[in-house]
Amino acid sequence: MGDSTDDGPRPLVTDPFDAVPALAPLRDAAWDGDWEAVRAFFEGIAADEATGVEKISLAAALLAGVDRTEWFLEKAVKDRPAGPLPRTLLAERYVQLGWRARGRGPAESLSWDAARQCHDWLCKAELLLIEVCAEEPAYVPAWTTRLSTARGLGLGQSEARRRYDRLAEHHPHHVRAQSELLRQLSPEWGGSWEAAHGFAEECASAAPDGSHAGVLIAEAHLEHWAALEGAEAEEYLRSTTVRDELLRAARVSVLHPDHRRDWRWTDSHSAFALALSLGGHAGDAAPHFAALGDTVSESIWRNVPDWRTRFIEYRTAAAQATP
Amino acid sequence: MTAQEHPPAPTANGLAAPDGLDALDGLVRHTTVHGIPTLFAPSADRQITAGLAFRVGHADETLPTAGITHLVEHLALHHLGLSDLHFNGATASTYTLFHVTGDEDEAVTYLNGVCAALRDLPMSRMETEKEILRTEAGSRGKGPLSRMPLWRYGAQGYGLGSQDELGTWSLTADQVRDWAGTRFTRDNAVLFLTTDRVPDGLDLTLPAGRRFPTPPATSTLPATPAWLHGEDGHVVFTSVVRRSTAATVFAEVLGRALFQDLRQKGGYSYSAEADYSSRDADFATVTAYADALSQKQDAAVGGFVDAFARLRAGRIEQSELDSARGKLLKRYDVPDLGAALLPSYALSLLTGHRILAPEQYREELRAVTVEDLREVAREAWDAGLLQVPGAGADWAGLTQAPHFSPSGVSGTLHPSLEDEDVTLIIGAAGVTLSTPAGLVTVRYDGCAAMTTRPDGARCLIGLDGFQVIVEPTLFGEVTEERIAVLDKAVPPAVIVPLPARPAAEIPQPREGAAPRPPAGPRKKAGAVRGESLMTRLLRAGRRK
Repeated sequence: MGDSTDDGPRPLVTDPFDAVPALAPLRDAAWDGDWEAVRAFFEGIAADEATGVEKISLAAALLAGVDRTEWFLEKAVKDRPAGPLPRTLLAERYVQLGWRARGRGPAESLSWDAARQCHDWLCKAELLLIEVCAEEPAYVPAWTTRLSTARGLGLGQSEARRRYDRLAEHHPHHVRAQSELLRQLSPEWGGSWEAAHGFAEECASAAPDGSHAGVLIAEAHLEHWAALEGAEAEEYLRSTTVRDELLRAARVSVLHPDHRRDWRWTDSHSAFALALSLGGHAGDAAPHFAALGDTVSESIWRNVPDWRTRFIEYRTAAAQATP
Repeated sequence: MTAQEHPPAPTANGLAAPDGLDALDGLVRHTTVHGIPTLFAPSADRQITAGLAFRVGHADETLPTAGITHLVEHLALHHLGLSDLHFNGATASTYTLFHVTGDEDEAVTYLNGVCAALRDLPMSRMETEKEILRTEAGSRGKGPLSRMPLWRYGAQGYGLGSQDELGTWSLTADQVRDWAGTRFTRDNAVLFLTTDRVPDGLDLTLPAGRRFPTPPATSTLPATPAWLHGEDGHVVFTSVVRRSTAATVFAEVLGRALFQDLRQKGGYSYSAEADYSSRDADFATVTAYADALSQKQDAAVGGFVDAFARLRAGRIEQSELDSARGKLLKRYDVPDLGAALLPSYALSLLTGHRILAPEQYREELRAVTVEDLREVAREAWDAGLLQVPGAGADWAGLTQAPHFSPSGVSGTLHPSLEDEDVTLIIGAAGVTLSTPAGLVTVRYDGCAAMTTRPDGARCLIGLDGFQVIVEPTLFGEVTEERIAVLDKAVPPAVIVPLPARPAAEIPQPREGAAPRPPAGPRKKAGAVRGESLMTRLLRAGRRK
């Protein structure tokens, strides 16, 4: 498993495309700028199943992270202006470009120029998505991306909630969308910790056993921790209340016997592993590190300084704590 | 009453039917009464309703004469002031209506009295009536829709409906007499009566004149769809579309879609509705409105944008079309249909809009398709102006309506005594208020009106609706000489002298206080008046 070996630790697998072999064709298609292959990939996902919608949303987000995909996606939209998929994928890419233009710093550190660029990309995305949602109100991937545009464009709590409600009419347990709304509900984006934790709890308890929704509880605690400073931050995750909530959430989700490993698994285990490790609960983090092995979601861990080293340290600690 | 030769008594159908009235054969009869085109149709009601409408309204005025039509209307009705007859007058954007409900004698007396007064207005009452109009304006609420005409059309034409009636300060007897003599003429009027014949004893003698076409529309929106900031709790949309039966159905469908999405489904709004009303012979104004709880107003804006987007995408259920159509058809399913439709036909005749017989209208209604509605939805959105609370609406593809002038003028600089970042510039071509956020300019050659106070204050309002207030107490070195520059440069016809203010109302710089709210550069809002009077009459007709 993920224990260190005599030759030192193996390099970490941080690219989600590497973590999930089934996604490899999508990356190839994206690199080749091959719209037909991209389309075939998405159409090959059975959208009628609940997991299918999760997969489409997740794959859309991953595709958007591949550089220069807007070139062929724009052409695909021009060629197939009526289909929801090309516009949604292009919008997702625009959102990615927008957040990238903005940078990851706090709002106060944002330059006017960066804010303007981000705003413009998100507006471009939003215009495509308004159309798609008007034409296909049940098309969940578009509503999911509209949660991200709503947050970035500052459209307000009630508007984000409206979008989520429209989405949930069609897909009540969409974890990526829930994760998006969760961020909106945090104080950083105009919400409150009460609202954020409440929503995470609500989603986790409403979801079927073995689903990913429990990870929202970990995400909420990680967000909360990131907003605190110094000793307060350290104590926050050490508290037994938080630990108990994390353990319960893990038990009903990724550690539940009904849980099936799918495309999202690295994110979920990475979040639990991080939250429990930061709280000093090495033993509790062990099953998540065991599941992860050398794989980890950078997007979850990158908030920790020198996160790669810390990952390996925490993983070792977890392995040693295991009875 | 002046002694004068009256034209011959009314003749029945002596002339060829004007403007397609033949289409109404068997439903509405027509004739002329003292040269006034007259429509009449019987009603089972014991009382009759009569209306005398003129093709003149706010949109025909200018900012300095704003209120002149309303003033004539008041003067014409003054002598009836204490009667308990059910009558009234109303001044709308493109017409003025005198109407009465009563027995035949009462109706005849009322109409004769109105025309007698119009021939010879009681000018001795003018100052009193001006005072009454100013009081009326002060007590009129300014609704959430009130700013829309100004932002679309500027301080002119169709934009004047939301302006103060400046003319109530400065109009002269000659101006008022001339307005009555040219606009309230037999050739610029239509009479309607809910009777089976023209009553005896009518004397509606009015001077000859001409029919005035509705004024051309102006625009201050360089790009549409456009948005502007409005007060909390209200989402307001207006647009201008070509008049059509499909467009009337669209407004109905839009209103229902908003009600369903914003109220029934989301619970963001209590009121959510849409309306269609004709602006002139060719175009109509579509208005949509939703209120919103303060916690939910962002969702109300989002829901509004999405509901409209759905209609533009043509995702309209056949059942939505059918129920909207059904409602409109029901309006024609009333006893005494001819009488009920008289106000609407009279207005069409007056503005030159086509006369559509009920059967034709029903046919057109039945022919409306989902595709037609989609076309209207797109047309309406493309020309739309959306007023939103909160963060604006550029994210939805709308352009912010200009809230600053494109350029300034050069001239003498007068720093604000309250805010060091604000400067007033008085130049040879106009005045500019320079603020950190932008420039507000009124050029003398584009000045709709300038009000003046004896204490030196001047308020210049541009045709585009921007205003600059020159308060000598609030800016440095605004001397009498600089004020004289304004008085000389602004065309005399647009200058409106206002009376002296009590000393307490002359503003003084507020040292160290929070700066005044930055540039409400636009003219303050006015009230929407009388625009749906015809509709109300139509409804009243249906109840009978």
